[in-house]
Amino acid sequence: MIALTSMAQQANQPLPAGFQLDEYCIEKQLSLGGFSIVYVATDGQGQRVAIKEYLPNTLALRAEGKTAPIISEEHLPAFRYGMKCFFEEGRALAGLAHPNVIRVLNFFRANGTVYMVMEYEEGCTLQELIQNNPGRVTENFIRNVFTKMLNGLREVHSHRLLHLDLKPSNIYMRNHHVPVLIDFGAARQTLACDAPMLKPMYTPGFASPEHYSQQRDLLGPWSDIYSVGASMYACLAASTPVPADIRKARDELKPAMVLWDGKYSDQLLETIDWCLCLNERYRPQSVFALQKALTEPVVAPDPPPKDNWLGQMVGRIRKSRDA
Amino acid sequence: MKFTIYQETRIGKRANNEDRLAHCYSRDALLTVVADGMGGHYYGEVAAQIAVQTLTEAFKREFKPRIRDPFMFLQKGMLNAHRGILDFAGKHHLQDSPRTTCVACIVQNNVAYWAHSGDSRLYLLRNGKVLAQTKDHSRVRLLVDQGVITEDEVLSHPDRNKIYGCLGGQQTPEVTFSHKVTLEAGDVLVLCTDGAWSGLPGDILAIALKTADLLRAVPLLLGQAEARGGPTADNLSMIAVRWQDTYSDGSSGGSSVISTRTMPRDTVTTKMDEFGRNPQSRTELTEAEIERAIEEIRSTIQKYK
Repeated sequence: MIALTSMAQQANQPLPAGFQLDEYCIEKQLSLGGFSIVYVATDGQGQRVAIKEYLPNTLALRAEGKTAPIISEEHLPAFRYGMKCFFEEGRALAGLAHPNVIRVLNFFRANGTVYMVMEYEEGCTLQELIQNNPGRVTENFIRNVFTKMLNGLREVHSHRLLHLDLKPSNIYMRNHHVPVLIDFGAARQTLACDAPMLKPMYTPGFASPEHYSQQRDLLGPWSDIYSVGASMYACLAASTPVPADIRKARDELKPAMVLWDGKYSDQLLETIDWCLCLNERYRPQSVFALQKALTEPVVAPDPPPKDNWLGQMVGRIRKSRDA
Repeated sequence: MKFTIYQETRIGKRANNEDRLAHCYSRDALLTVVADGMGGHYYGEVAAQIAVQTLTEAFKREFKPRIRDPFMFLQKGMLNAHRGILDFAGKHHLQDSPRTTCVACIVQNNVAYWAHSGDSRLYLLRNGKVLAQTKDHSRVRLLVDQGVITEDEVLSHPDRNKIYGCLGGQQTPEVTFSHKVTLEAGDVLVLCTDGAWSGLPGDILAIALKTADLLRAVPLLLGQAEARGGPTADNLSMIAVRWQDTYSDGSSGGSSVISTRTMPRDTVTTKMDEFGRNPQSRTELTEAEIERAIEEIRSTIQKYK
């Protein structure tokens, strides 16, 4: 995703329901971002799809009742430049075929801008799921969802890509139970950005510390892993963790081990804290390492001491050992 | 690989810009090319365009993700460009085939390999000094080597524009190859046409680019060279690369540093101006580029369906 540093904010009008866009018929607007509008539409076979329309709020204005956006002469270079990033998202996704990564079905040009067609299935984002069912966030749920989601992320990394905007609202729960990575708007193959008017955007709370700093060359799989840790933390806390730039100045993020001791296994809580290390070298360095930690069998807590003299002895010895 | 790179070409005071330049890089290899189409010949800019295009296209075909034999690559690339120019002349029934100089450089595994034909130059600058430079295939260069004229007389010599190495001429082109040179962090490679170097002595270039931000310094240098060219200033072009590898941090350049570490192994990023287009807007996509990008994405989708 791209943010434009100094331009007035304007609201863009979505295409109306029933609008025939190429071979697709628009049903409704799904979401509106600073950079694009996402619609639900049906294709010629009646199949539902999601269509993302490149429409940077600050550069292109679509007035009510109009189809093509108005782009001033002055904004055209920036508009075209942003299009490059939209293409990069398309390129990134087109080469990925994985059940835990959103599939791109088509890509086309119309109305003076470009469109990306993606699969659409019933479901909701992980964020919505957790907000609506706080009771569902069990140890097993977290391990299940994140282990599966990490299969997708592993595929992304194996293509030498980074997602760079992982968070619960970018994990879509297909049919409410299969996690799928969506929104690759921040994904980069090469981090070179030569236009000073555009800067990459990140989500505070989920972006890694190296994402904030100018040292873009520190970004790596471990940066996405920080975001995975932050997402797990957010699931347990039902709120966004302290942003990394604030943590770097003064780290007030309470470790998961402290907050949820006894409610979840030590091993899960330790893994979350591991991902959230500020120093990128101390985190799991690969998705595989993290997955290994998440799928390791949980060490059962010590059984309560048996109520006989032998059990009491054993209990006493354990205590003195642990002390 | 980590580096900063900047390229710019200017028309000078001529009616036509016959200089062409391009660079492209994969995760592990970088190619830079500069060609100067010959003014006295028709279609000079076509010859120059064929040269940079032939080399960049070969790069896109042959990196995997490195070039197997960089010197062989440069030799083949230049000879193919030469033949391409002759073919073009034949196809269009030109009486005299167009010609171009060419200098090209490959950097991979921290080692630079370059080759040139004609009087477009490569300078390797280290610590504010010229560490290496190509030797022009020109009459005046021979005269200097034979001690007939001095270095200072070169720029005013009547034969200063006569060159004997070029692509597209009657003879098989003369191509001179460098040695392998291991680069150090902070080294600067400069490829330029005679319009640029004739107004900029090598030692000045070395000092000016020692630590400066290339994105700012190169336009300033070209401005100086253009001013020195006076009312008949030739086309002038320059590609400058500052090598930042060897894992030293805190080097200048900031966010403009290109790091290829996160690139997929099978892609190439190319910077080459479209033929006949005025290279003023570096960030804007052309219609053709948009169409190409969409086509590329669609074909990838098809492949993975």
